[in-house]
Amino acid sequence: MMRTVALAVLALALAAGVASAAPVGVGVGAFGGLSYPILQDDVGNGSVYGLRVPVRLLPMITVEPYWLTGKMDDATETIGGVEYTRDGFDNKGFGANAILGRVGGAGFHFYPFGGIGSHKLTRAGTPEIKETAYNFGLGFGISPTPKVSLQIRGEVNMIKTGDTSRKFGNATVGLNYDLLP
Amino acid sequence: MKNLRWILPCLALVLFAPGCILTSGQFTLDFDLPDVTATSATGIVGEQIDLNDESDYKDHKDNVKDISDFAVLGTFHNTGLTDVDIEVYMTRDLTTLTDAATIRSTGIKLWGPFQVPAGGTKTIDWDASAALFTAAGKAAVLQEAKGDGNFTLYAVGSAGTYQFDVENGKLVLVIDVGI
Repeated sequence: MMRTVALAVLALALAAGVASAAPVGVGVGAFGGLSYPILQDDVGNGSVYGLRVPVRLLPMITVEPYWLTGKMDDATETIGGVEYTRDGFDNKGFGANAILGRVGGAGFHFYPFGGIGSHKLTRAGTPEIKETAYNFGLGFGISPTPKVSLQIRGEVNMIKTGDTSRKFGNATVGLNYDLLP
Repeated sequence: MKNLRWILPCLALVLFAPGCILTSGQFTLDFDLPDVTATSATGIVGEQIDLNDESDYKDHKDNVKDISDFAVLGTFHNTGLTDVDIEVYMTRDLTTLTDAATIRSTGIKLWGPFQVPAGGTKTIDWDASAALFTAAGKAAVLQEAKGDGNFTLYAVGSAGTYQFDVENGKLVLVIDVGI
């Protein structure tokens, strides 16, 4: 419920911004990188990649819908001298981040961001976890040309599991292309 | 920007508060199970488990929130003449039952069935074993993890006449804890 409301609010903000703000900036980007489990004994390191669509509503506010997919490596545990492996999670999700600043454009940008999404964790032998996810982190944008920028980000992706969560630290590199203006 | 002076500390306070979903983790506990021979219907041997034997559990026992994964690992030899479906039951206390009917009537089915053909040997891996964990068993183990941490496991055949051995048995639990 909370996820639905939050996503609806973000969507409305996005629509309102697009409808009313004069110079709206819209970009599209792809990213990929490494994903590390945080405080999870039963998951290995992995990779993550996806797409982002940053929409600059105000000079300092950007809303960025995203889609990502990740594959965590199997965890290996030596138990009583015998090595066992546990299937790593597949992490698929979508949502939106709110960015304090701008992603594209000329020059160098540094921006904090936070967001909410709906993510699904699946692994062999366990019912899937489909829950609200929260993201927060920091990003850098470096633009060698007016339309194209390199995006480097570090973020925590936290997927709620009842009273606890599964957390992943993601370090990604991406390219963003400004469609508008 | 002035509002950020208040918003950011408040956000940090909420996120890092004890018991918050951010300050949590998943820790693996494993227990050696002794090699056993189970014979229908009164030759069953149980294994008493004390979660307090594991330091990760002792460190976080007051903040256990859930059991996120469970597996019974080991090599199963069916020394009988018919296929056997092996199940693991638990009693919530430390018990020394030997009778399969009593174990089924007083215990909680935790895991299984895992079929081993007559005369065959099968080693189960973690992924396959995790899928055999029952909902009732998960609830019972969680209650024990939140309680005194003591319970007893029994491996039995689901029906008929059977005899099987279990070698290099392990019990693996992944506990969800607040930090």
